[in-house]
Amino acid sequence: MNRWLLPVALLGATAAAGAAARAGPAQDYALHCMGCHGASAQGVPGKVPPLAHSLVRFMNNAEGRRYVLRVPGAANSMLSDAQLAAVLNWVVAQFDADELGSATPQFREQEVAANRHTPMAGVLATRAAVLKEIAAIGPAPATEY
Amino acid sequence: MRSFQAWAALLAMMASGWAAASDPLPPEQFGMEPLPARTPHWIYVVDSAFMNETDSRVRLYDADTHGHLGQIDAGFFPGVTLSPDRNTMAVGTTYFARGGHGDRIDVVEFTDMTTLALTGEIVLPAKRAQATPTYFNLGYSSDSHFLYAAYITPAASFGVLDPAARKVLGEIDTAGCVLVIPWGPDHVSSICDSGRLLTVTLDAQGNEVSRALSDTFFDVETDPLFVQGIPTNQGYTFLSFLGKVHEVDFSGTEPVFHLPWSLLSAAETGHWRPGGQQLGAIQRRLGRLYVTMHRGGEGTHKKGGTEIWVFDLGTHRRIARWPVAALKLGPVSALQVSQDESPLLFLASDNPAAVATVDALTGQLRHTDTNLGQTPWQILNP
Amino acid sequence: MQRLDRIVESSARSLAQRTSRRSFIGVLGRILTGSLLIPLLPIDRIQRAEAATGPEGSPAKGKSAGKPYTEDQQNCEYWKYCAIDGFLCSCCGGSSHSCPPGTQQSVVSWIGTCHNPADGRDYIVSYNDCCGKASCGNCDCYRNERERPLYRLSRNNDVNWCMANTGSDYHCTVSVILGSSGP
Repeated sequence: MNRWLLPVALLGATAAAGAAARAGPAQDYALHCMGCHGASAQGVPGKVPPLAHSLVRFMNNAEGRRYVLRVPGAANSMLSDAQLAAVLNWVVAQFDADELGSATPQFREQEVAANRHTPMAGVLATRAAVLKEIAAIGPAPATEY
Repeated sequence: MRSFQAWAALLAMMASGWAAASDPLPPEQFGMEPLPARTPHWIYVVDSAFMNETDSRVRLYDADTHGHLGQIDAGFFPGVTLSPDRNTMAVGTTYFARGGHGDRIDVVEFTDMTTLALTGEIVLPAKRAQATPTYFNLGYSSDSHFLYAAYITPAASFGVLDPAARKVLGEIDTAGCVLVIPWGPDHVSSICDSGRLLTVTLDAQGNEVSRALSDTFFDVETDPLFVQGIPTNQGYTFLSFLGKVHEVDFSGTEPVFHLPWSLLSAAETGHWRPGGQQLGAIQRRLGRLYVTMHRGGEGTHKKGGTEIWVFDLGTHRRIARWPVAALKLGPVSALQVSQDESPLLFLASDNPAAVATVDALTGQLRHTDTNLGQTPWQILNP
Repeated sequence: MQRLDRIVESSARSLAQRTSRRSFIGVLGRILTGSLLIPLLPIDRIQRAEAATGPEGSPAKGKSAGKPYTEDQQNCEYWKYCAIDGFLCSCCGGSSHSCPPGTQQSVVSWIGTCHNPADGRDYIVSYNDCCGKASCGNCDCYRNERERPLYRLSRNNDVNWCMANTGSDYHCTVSVILGSSGP
């Protein structure tokens, strides 16, 4: 029997209904992200960017959202488009809840599908450019990590 | 030398006073043995020395004389490559300031392959991919102008080095694609999880001019590609977990992917697999592919082979199967073949550790050496 | 895994203060201490079919069979070592899930799944390395279930998982259960 309890507050209703017979975003985070990004999404200084207090700041900006979906670890992961949307939404709910505004749109499956397969030329250069854009209008993730 | 001569004179004086049936041995010169001229039957065996991994080595071996010729120290998780003229070996490695701990120093060290003398080094940022040895951990451009070093931090990128000036020129972010497959004077390809090759083109200063992604040519979900490519006249041939052969032509302006063909019949697929570290070799003159094969399923792709299968690259037909046990060898995890007219096939096992020299035409065992490393995972034939 | 536990614990605690106990926020810490059951893992059909035939392509052993899935945590065939390529920390002064004294836990790892035939469940395990000392050299295992080449770094054993530690010399590997699924 499935004893995994779905949180009422889980963002992204798409995950809830179908998730009874399949793994959900917490487990997907463990299997596909946590190995490098860490149990608290804290990253590794100088080597792996944090997601905590960071991912949410990409979400209010169109280029920021595109960047997140094209990052190799996300884009090339074994997750389906729906699963990738769900795990990203889960990460911000867990680790950036204090910054998550009600106006911040969740990631949707269609958005993932439309963006993840556009490869990035260079991750760090793209990230730096996106951060500049974000910083112009609001709090930006740290450039250095 | 003066002290030796003095001793020699003293001993000669003492000897002259003795009644001896024959003349005593003459005194010797203490010098350094020169490295003989290279032959096609030399191999350089990369020993990752996994049980003592900060002490990996490259051992030089003459398969005709069974002679051990010398050694190059290779540090921790080395990547080894030869310059296009074969006269320089570059070893990308890591040293810790206190042996197994202490400050990490990543470095490329250069050895003159006519003398085995260290001739210089380039200190790298501490980003080098510390991985098992393949042709693609470190590589020269075709004109020797650049040397590329794969980085994994875990982010993937590669360093562009100037081997002549002994310096780091820069770093190219590969967006998750790994390793460095240099081709031509200014192209470097990397292998991507998406099943594509990324190719970056550089200018004369080593800066990126452009990049391109190929179409997908393998599917990591259904039949992953082994990264250990095998050199051919046109580029590299890659094998897949389920025994497909992917010949990639790098002789033009972009990589060209030949239609894959299978090493296996339908009945054999999924049951026999290639496996090991350096799991194939190609004799380019004969057009023969040698692959180390074993029976097994999921999870056995690094298992050494119990048979060497030999294929004709023109017809794609298997022309021989040589049982490894008949060679008194453990499972074979690395193989290499010489490119001359009397080719030798070299088979390495790490369990127990040994390198066998075999006639590449007949499969007959010539010789086995058990002192070429504890985990000989890559064999280079210069 | 002390450092990981501390991070998870403090994170879980602070998050639990803001959210329902039944939410996944508070649950994350318990996942990582292995006390919570999570549902069947998304292993694709091909891999599950192959897993059923066992690592050597032979028929899988049932619950009652003793080998090769022994209960000996110093044996390479122990079920949760299904993708350990390296030395077992349990033979080096650590345990199956903790580092030997004086070594450092790797800050990155790869996270895979192993099947426990004793209870029929699949478990998520974290393959962390213990770093900063020379090769342990004991119990050298070479298993690679569901391991994939270097371009799929999150499933790869060819690279040194001590790579991101200040002292990146590799000593041994652990397998830490993160969670399991129901029967």
